[in-house]
Amino acid sequence: MGKEERDPHTGYLTTGHEWNGIIELNTPVPRIIYFFLGAAFLFSLVYWVLMPTWPIGTTYTKGLLGSDQRAYVDNTIKQAALERADWTAQIEKESYADIQKNPALMNVVRETGRTLFGDNCAACHGRDAHGAKGFPNLTTQSWLWGGTPEAIAETIRVGINSAHPETRSSQMLAFGKDGMLPSADIDKVVAFVRSLSNPAAKDLPADKVAAGKMLFATNCASCHGEDAKGNPEVGAPNLTDPYWIYGGDAQSIETTVWGGRQGHMPTWESRLSTLDRKILALYLVDLRKPNP
Amino acid sequence: MIAQLTKNERQVALLILLALAVVGIAMAAGGRHDPFGAHGALVLLAAIVGSFAVISGYYAPEPPESRLDSYYDDPSKAGIILAMIWAVIAMFVGDWVAWLLVNPNLTFDAGWASFGRLRPVHTSGVIFGFGGNALIATSYYVMQRTSRARMPDQLTPWFVLLGYNLFCVIAATGYLMGVTQSKEYAEPEWYADIWLVIVWVAYFVLYLRTLARRKEPHIYVANWYYLAFILVVAMLHIVNNLAVPISWGSAKSYSLFSGVQDAMTEWWYGHNAVAFFLTSGFLGMLYYYMPKRAGRPIYSYRMSIISFWGITFFYMWAGSHHLHYTALPQWVQSLGMTFSVMLLIPSWVSAGNALMTLNGAWHKVRDDAVLRFMMVAAVFYGLTTFEGSFMAIRPVNSLSHYTDWTVGHVHAGALGWVAMITFGAIYASVPWLWKREAMYSARLVEAHFWLAVGGTVIYVFAMWNSGIIQGLMWRTYNESGTLAYSFVDSLVAMHPYYIARAVGGLFFLLGAVIGLYNIWMTIRTAPQAAPETAADRPVLAGGAVLQAGE
Amino acid sequence: MFGFHYRLERKTIGLVLAIIGVASIGGIVEIAPLFTIHQTVEDAPDMRVYTPLELAGRNIYIREGCYACHSQMIRTLRDEVERYGPYSLAVESKYDHPMLWGSKRTGPDLARLGNKYSDEWHVAHLNNPRDVVPESIMPAYAWLSRTELRTDDLSDHLKAQRTVGVPYTDDMIVNAAADAYGQAAPDSPQAEGVVKRYGKATAVRAFDSRPGELTEMDALVAYLQILGRLTDAAHKPVASAEK
Ligand code: HEC
Ligand code: HEC
Ligand code: HEC
Ligand code: HEM
Ligand code: HEM
Ligand SMILES: [Ca+2]
Ligand SMILES: [Ca+2]
Ligand SMILES: [Cu+2]
Repeated sequence: MGKEERDPHTGYLTTGHEWNGIIELNTPVPRIIYFFLGAAFLFSLVYWVLMPTWPIGTTYTKGLLGSDQRAYVDNTIKQAALERADWTAQIEKESYADIQKNPALMNVVRETGRTLFGDNCAACHGRDAHGAKGFPNLTTQSWLWGGTPEAIAETIRVGINSAHPETRSSQMLAFGKDGMLPSADIDKVVAFVRSLSNPAAKDLPADKVAAGKMLFATNCASCHGEDAKGNPEVGAPNLTDPYWIYGGDAQSIETTVWGGRQGHMPTWESRLSTLDRKILALYLVDLRKPNP
Repeated sequence: MIAQLTKNERQVALLILLALAVVGIAMAAGGRHDPFGAHGALVLLAAIVGSFAVISGYYAPEPPESRLDSYYDDPSKAGIILAMIWAVIAMFVGDWVAWLLVNPNLTFDAGWASFGRLRPVHTSGVIFGFGGNALIATSYYVMQRTSRARMPDQLTPWFVLLGYNLFCVIAATGYLMGVTQSKEYAEPEWYADIWLVIVWVAYFVLYLRTLARRKEPHIYVANWYYLAFILVVAMLHIVNNLAVPISWGSAKSYSLFSGVQDAMTEWWYGHNAVAFFLTSGFLGMLYYYMPKRAGRPIYSYRMSIISFWGITFFYMWAGSHHLHYTALPQWVQSLGMTFSVMLLIPSWVSAGNALMTLNGAWHKVRDDAVLRFMMVAAVFYGLTTFEGSFMAIRPVNSLSHYTDWTVGHVHAGALGWVAMITFGAIYASVPWLWKREAMYSARLVEAHFWLAVGGTVIYVFAMWNSGIIQGLMWRTYNESGTLAYSFVDSLVAMHPYYIARAVGGLFFLLGAVIGLYNIWMTIRTAPQAAPETAADRPVLAGGAVLQAGE
Repeated sequence: MFGFHYRLERKTIGLVLAIIGVASIGGIVEIAPLFTIHQTVEDAPDMRVYTPLELAGRNIYIREGCYACHSQMIRTLRDEVERYGPYSLAVESKYDHPMLWGSKRTGPDLARLGNKYSDEWHVAHLNNPRDVVPESIMPAYAWLSRTELRTDDLSDHLKAQRTVGVPYTDDMIVNAAADAYGQAAPDSPQAEGVVKRYGKATAVRAFDSRPGELTEMDALVAYLQILGRLTDAAHKPVASAEK
């Protein structure tokens, strides 16, 4: 202990200490380390001078560049909006029909609409807009509130049964729960409703369907129409097509008629710009199957 | 174990356990309607089991005076076994959560089995359970030998080790019950935090008392690092965990800080948990076991000084690199970024010093898987710190933050550096501690090594890929100048990488299981009456004394 | 320098003090000014506190570890603002003890989630995310609907919150449990008090569609629906960094 020795392998002296057999060489620090330390410090120094960095009491050094991450991103976004202005201006001012006739613009709609739909609407309506139980399929010809791009845009703006003051509102009454129809009648009207979209179903006796038809005319036709094809005035769905929000099997229809329904589609007025909503409406019209 | 304690220590142990039992009863009673009560029962159980152990050995003869001329290694042995058990449990949970991201239905409709509750079991389990036990066990071993002094008493090391494990068990069971403060790496609730402070103070005092008895005037580098680990973790822990419990009978508390100040405090803590738990402590380990195993001197004492103080100083400024572009004022981000860049130099000086130490011993690295573990650890340490400094640069972080890239970086450090150096140190110390000639099977060590390296590489590459793809998909614009992918698009793209990661993790876990088996079998083989040299023993009071000055 | 160190490393206490000193500087310089520099947290006079139900929901969010997958911090980057909405301000988490900014986005950011989806959707999603989002890897939290919300200690929660600086009034503290019930039972007598104490804009609804029962699902959905809506500050042009 306390005696410096020379390491035969590297040729450096030891520090002369020993801990449980471990010794240390007194190798000088290679210059390159000081160089890099200096370089890293110099880099930092320059950064500190240019950028906001050092706190001083109740404020901080602002840096020569006056950089501010918030101003920067606000600017970037404004700049990006300007770069898009060639097509955004067109979509904003042209009518739906004109845009639909313009393949270049419709390409933009498809590109932009896909992500916009994916980040905002897909949670309910699915990535492919095919919907899920309780959330309608948006790719069919069958629309609660009308399928023109204008009507769709309006639905997106105000929502359905949403918090928006001008919301579209609709309600399927709770015929069973609220005691408007006895269970036996519900059974019959359900049989009739099923027969509309599925006339071939085996378990639907003709007399039951006929009784259901009577009940439907008095109770349901006011909203769903004499022909049960729905009414976009009140958001009542078409019951004769194969598309269902809540399911078209006997059990689901029965649940609907017994307990009522009131779907909730949020309003997007304060979350998405007019432009974005217009793009989405166009996107949906474009997505819809040509001939269901 | 009890036979090793003096009569007086047995009495003190009983008193401590009694106090613990009282606390347990009070907690159980006060928290009847709360997970707090369950933890009270757990504390009580621990106290009862402990008391039984002490009482059953209470009348054993006192340990002979001759104990004082050897090191006190039983707590290290226990610590190593505990570390390996935690490693297997926590990495099993890690792989489980990895599979949960492949198939989310493995939750079985049970709260405790869902991703959000299991994830902290994994992170705390590996960092505190595995890493912490390994650090405590090796620090006992190293501080005694580099001081040539036995620990001052027999009770404190057990109090620290077992008390620490009680903390870990409270933490892990708490997460399963939904008890968490949600502060990353500081999730345990207020009462566990307080208990850890008590344990930690005892640990610090134990360290100081052992160092005070040292026979070499200079304190060895490994001890600087262990000391920094103990001290700074205490500082961080206390400040970050300041909180107000809602009542004395509830597990729930509210953090003293909120919003932006809380975020900065949390990442000042979180980043330096990396620095002083996962780096400083393990560098202490490296500084003892690597030169020892390689039989080479530390390459440069002067580089040790530069890197030690560089790391201690720079790291503490870097935490804000976890908050780039957030609502944290930009000036703090600037500091975090620049100090992270400067931090690279001392980090690489450490890694370089370690690798240069192997000069003249590379043939051993080739032949000895244990030394190879340590060598690979030093390489991964260099790689991870380079990556970390790179990711701390604001524009780079804008891509990497929130993505799997961070997870890749974490596991390059955690698997490649932390776990590898630990396995190396454990394989080196097991034969020394249990006085065996070598590990039970060198081939199993070799197998573990390759599983660990393979697993790490698969894991890290999978996460680099997924992280960068994810980050790019989030910010890719199409020709119209609008976002090209929705969030769910990026989620779908991650699937294959999540499978690869889970497979890589399985390899790594398998290696750890093999390691545990190998250690167990080593312990079961007959001891070797290896000739003990004077260097294996503490220098007694009569021997060479601290030399004043030089 | 090495000579000085050569002496320092022989003194345990010296070494200890040196480590503490060297390690303290960074934290002090970076954290202390966050309390003294006024612009750190923006002003937001319209900022309201969480209702007891929302606070309980927030605690469930913490308990289940949602923060492990979801951030609540929109960064000042173009793509984040365009995807999620206005970047987050410090003031928005002023009452968050602790903050839930998060560090990993396995799922999307939730900072502006409030009112984006319907309550029904949240209930369906939390019961089983794959029912509504087939690609999801988020766990199912079906037990939330089955579990009654604990309200007996809510006053304690509000009191502790007040201790750490959230301005709850005595009235709010005393009525915490009733307010939690009332917010999820619109036709109950307790509902009025919620609006009186927390403002007209407070959502009083049967979040899980069952007004009679107060479940953990009610609380969590109430919390999710208030995310980003405690103050409107982020939607107004921010007086960005003092000139
Ligand atoms: C919270 C779930 C949810 C989200 C998110 C959502 N919707 Fe809806 N949407 C619904 C529900 C539910 C209905 C049906 C309402 C009803 O049953 O009366 C609906 C109906 C519609 C309709 C009317 C369909 C018709 O037949 O008239 C359109 C159009 C529509 N959604 C478009 C969108 C678009 C575009 C977005 C995204 C910007 C979106 N939705 C987001 C739930 C949602
Ligand atoms: C007050 C108007 C109104 C009356 C009367 C009414 N409905 Fe409806 N019905 C609606 C509305 C609106 C919806 C859509 C609810 C929604 O989307 O949430 C609906 C939905 C339905 C559905 C679900 C369709 C699907 O896609 O899942 C069925 C089935 C149905 N009604 C059957 C009936 C029957 C049978 C009756 C009479 C016994 C009836 N409705 C009377 C308004 C009415
Ligand atoms: C394993 C990771 C994980 C955990 C844990 C998790 N989530 Fe999610 N979350 C996701 C993923 C992935 C998505 C995107 C797919 C989807 O919508 O389900 C998501 C989506 C969501 C969304 C829809 C956000 C949007 O804007 O579309 C909400 C709300 C949500 N999660 C809430 C929660 C809550 C509340 C918890 C805890 C009780 C939670 N999550 C826990 C992964 C997770
Ligand atoms: C069998 C080996 C392992 C597997 C399969 C594994 C798996 C995982 C998984 C799936 C996550 C969650 C990532 C996410 O949220 O997306 C994770 C996080 C984490 N793991 Fe591991 N892990 C392993 C070993 C380790 C070890 C040995 C350590 C530390 C010594 C460690 C430390 C961490 C940390 C710190 C995190 C949190 C990362 C963050 O928040 O960014 N892991 N691990
Ligand atoms: C020079 C050294 C290092 C620097 C500058 C550094 C830097 C970083 C950066 C920039 C992040 C990402 C923060 C974010 O975007 O959220 C990060 C995360 C992380 N790093 Fe490092 N790193 C270093 C070394 C290490 C080492 C050696 C480990 C050892 C295991 C490690 C463990 C972690 C962990 C666990 C996280 C995840 C934190 C979280 O939960 O988000 N780092 N580091
Ligand atoms: Ca804690
Ligand atoms: Ca994290
Ligand atoms: Cu960090």
